[in-house]
Amino acid sequence: MLAATILAGGVGGSGGAGTAVPAHATVTPAAPAANHVNVKVPANERITLPNGLRLILVPRHDIPLVAFNLLLRGGALLDPPGHDGTAALAADLLTHGAGSRDAFAFADAVEGAGGNLDAAARAEFIQVQGQFLAHDSRLMLELLADAVLRPRFDADEFDKLRERRIEEIKAARDSQPQALLGNYGRALLFAGHPYADAVSGSEASLARLTRADVTRFYAAQSGADRAILVVAGDFDPAQVRRDVGALFGAWPRASTPLAPLPAPARVHGRRLLLVDSPGSAQTYIWMANVGVSRHYDLRPALAVANLALGGSFGSLLNRELRQKAGLTYDASSRFTRGLVAGEFAISTFTQTDKSAQALQLALTTLAGFKHDGLDAAAIDSARNYLLGQYPLAFETPFDWAVALGDLDFYDLPESYIGQFGSALVATDAASIRQVIDGAFPSPDDLDIVLIGDAAKIRASLEKFGPITTMPLSAPEFVPH
Amino acid sequence: MRTGVGFGVLALLGSALSGATQPVAVRPAAAAATTAVSFAATGQSIQTRTLANGLQVIVWPDHNIPSVALFNWVHVGSRNEGTGTTGLAHFFEHMMFNGTTTHARGEFDRLIESNGGSNNAFTSQDVTVYQDWFPRSALELVLQLESDRLANLAFAPQVVEKEREVVYSERRLRVEDSNPSFLAEQVQATAFVAHPYRIPTIGWPSDIKAWTLADLQNFYHTWYAPNQCTLVLVGDVEPEQVFALVEKYYGPIPRGPATAAVRTVEPEQSGERRLVVERSGQNPLVQVAWHAISADDPRAPALNLLQTILTGGDAARLHRALVEERKLAVAVDSGWSEGFDPNIYSIYATLPEGGSSEAFEQALNAELAKLLASGVTAAELSRAKHQVAASFWRGVSTIDGKARLLGEYAVMHGDYRKLFTAPDAYERVTAADVLAVARDVFKPEHRTVGVLLPRAATATGGEH
Repeated sequence: MLAATILAGGVGGSGGAGTAVPAHATVTPAAPAANHVNVKVPANERITLPNGLRLILVPRHDIPLVAFNLLLRGGALLDPPGHDGTAALAADLLTHGAGSRDAFAFADAVEGAGGNLDAAARAEFIQVQGQFLAHDSRLMLELLADAVLRPRFDADEFDKLRERRIEEIKAARDSQPQALLGNYGRALLFAGHPYADAVSGSEASLARLTRADVTRFYAAQSGADRAILVVAGDFDPAQVRRDVGALFGAWPRASTPLAPLPAPARVHGRRLLLVDSPGSAQTYIWMANVGVSRHYDLRPALAVANLALGGSFGSLLNRELRQKAGLTYDASSRFTRGLVAGEFAISTFTQTDKSAQALQLALTTLAGFKHDGLDAAAIDSARNYLLGQYPLAFETPFDWAVALGDLDFYDLPESYIGQFGSALVATDAASIRQVIDGAFPSPDDLDIVLIGDAAKIRASLEKFGPITTMPLSAPEFVPH
Repeated sequence: MRTGVGFGVLALLGSALSGATQPVAVRPAAAAATTAVSFAATGQSIQTRTLANGLQVIVWPDHNIPSVALFNWVHVGSRNEGTGTTGLAHFFEHMMFNGTTTHARGEFDRLIESNGGSNNAFTSQDVTVYQDWFPRSALELVLQLESDRLANLAFAPQVVEKEREVVYSERRLRVEDSNPSFLAEQVQATAFVAHPYRIPTIGWPSDIKAWTLADLQNFYHTWYAPNQCTLVLVGDVEPEQVFALVEKYYGPIPRGPATAAVRTVEPEQSGERRLVVERSGQNPLVQVAWHAISADDPRAPALNLLQTILTGGDAARLHRALVEERKLAVAVDSGWSEGFDPNIYSIYATLPEGGSSEAFEQALNAELAKLLASGVTAAELSRAKHQVAASFWRGVSTIDGKARLLGEYAVMHGDYRKLFTAPDAYERVTAADVLAVARDVFKPEHRTVGVLLPRAATATGGEH
């Protein structure tokens, strides 16, 4: 180590900024070499068991952890009408008592090994994920098999969890109203389509659910032929193959085939849903239309275009609303891409008396983006950002368990990840123009949700479109 | 934080700022000895330098992915603030992205992003941390830009005014529209009467509105100096290459002035304090806080294990008793801010709508009385040690996690190498140690109880 000798005295506090440090000419990094733009997909083994269970093994031995990711096709899409939250409660209950263990014994077995094992419903699947120390891989698989094959759905656990989930939604209304925007928004945008379902359910729909609803749902929708299991990390593949065969081999197939999911239709014109939160210090804003699916063929161009609009700190929306106007702490946009087209949504928030101004600026920014497109510098910048950040999503065995599970679920090739870098490099201005025209909605065609103090902001919003108002405290996400 | 908005419905408790230090993920490792890879050996490739101007540099090469995480830990947080300038450390976290005398506002982000990097920052009561994640090709650029803003920050008045609004928006998001955070801010300010841990990291509203340019410049020239920084780089780099570049870009920056130590010691509390907050909402909240210990206290591993035993998971003691069995709360959590000085240990609860805070408190007191009388079981301690061990391995499985852990140990514990001896410290903790620290901390006369009572909102909406 160098000796810590003092080179210079302290800097005075006199008015001027900066010290006498010479400025260097800004460094321009070399473009990454062609062989460095792609993420390398690790060697993996794919097996389909006789009962239809798909098993993907990704061994890696640098850290003594083993991760798994199990996807069970179906999910909240299959919630019966009016019974939002059925899949979510079913998933919750998988880890609250299974096999020979009651809820406490199950949690004790997981936590006693220092593991984690969590189940949750998503729109299109129920997902069970976890990570254990490597020497507990057999225990991990036993607990997982109990959870998905032998959940107990104990009545007392059902009552407690249902009540707790209801209270948690209420608490989110008090503490994280922005977390609920998507529930209101999707209910409006996808009305009549399964994507309208609030995955968590609402206070009202959860209150309607019975234990029999949840048990029946899981019995009908669970099956080995709907499941994908990825195991990644520090394990012996031969041993895990044997363990999975022994533990999951008797899992029957699902009793019915899954119905195909219709593609939702885009909305035309603007509608506003104002969710009244009296006294709210700021207004939370979400605006959306139907976007594109996971199989959208211009995905690299889509990634570039959305990154430039609202996918990073330096994106257009954040520059306009935060950096230039000081209206918000955050403004962003994203596509949710599923089996069929999910939503493209812009979200932000601002202080109550600036609500109309922020909404207008977001719409103007979207209009400018649609009209002007992206110049070569913006495309390059967004592309480089994506190339640089992409490897960070594929660092750990757990990351790969998630990524390879997704690929298999959506029936995408490994090149979807492994060649994404080259595809980004090959993306040209024409395809980006095509994406901006085709995948991003017009600012005139949006469903807009605002959670804020209606008495203070309603009048200022009337110019944007017809407004429906409902109270934030209502126990559901759609107006009566 | 500079960016990042929590959208998780389940993350109901804990406040990003008022709850003080970032969640410390480090809970090393009892079972490490039984795994194939030795934990102590994982850090053997780490190298360090201290520049002549006092800058500490720690490099952990890791070639798993072609990326680098750089964390600059600046040794200043809201504990270094005073009346009238609360929130300055956090405001600086924002100002550091707003232009220098050599790079116009927006250039920092534009250059980093267009070269494949992303960045963020966070502020706690103790430290301010700047984070960059980037491809190895951008190493020199990032070091250049990071050193530039340490030396040459600009203070354009109109930029300060805009950023004031952004920070106020962050305060509205995190505190004023969040009941748990609002309560936590009040509990913190009540538990401490003298020590600056009473200050909310995001700042009091009137101070956010009133800082002057001179306040900012004084703060910058005092704290933003190489001798106040610990620079941690983890990832696809070689130490010698990093040291040469750091010398090139940071070497010319002069050492800063000596800074005033935080002299104030919180006087011992001599009786319970209580506060009630009334806010619109549906769920009552309770936070009970006790004066606890500092990060480098030898009892810290025992207190962390106690925290895991009480609220670390569905099998944890308070979750079982108060959520599952008595159903008095929807969620119970606890947390301890590991700081330079002794901070508080808090138990947080969200009650069901209409729930009784008195009933919850009684049940909590009964659980704590049982703990103080009988201690923890061997099974509980073993479970907590395994949880700590696994979460430690998860922590070092990413370059981001490594940069966080190295920085925490280097800055908050005084030496990054303590990270690699921590597993032994946790392994050595006995049930008697846990009971002893529980008795030290859970003293009724050292307690502050905060209750948030929800008021029904008056709905103004009708259908149109």
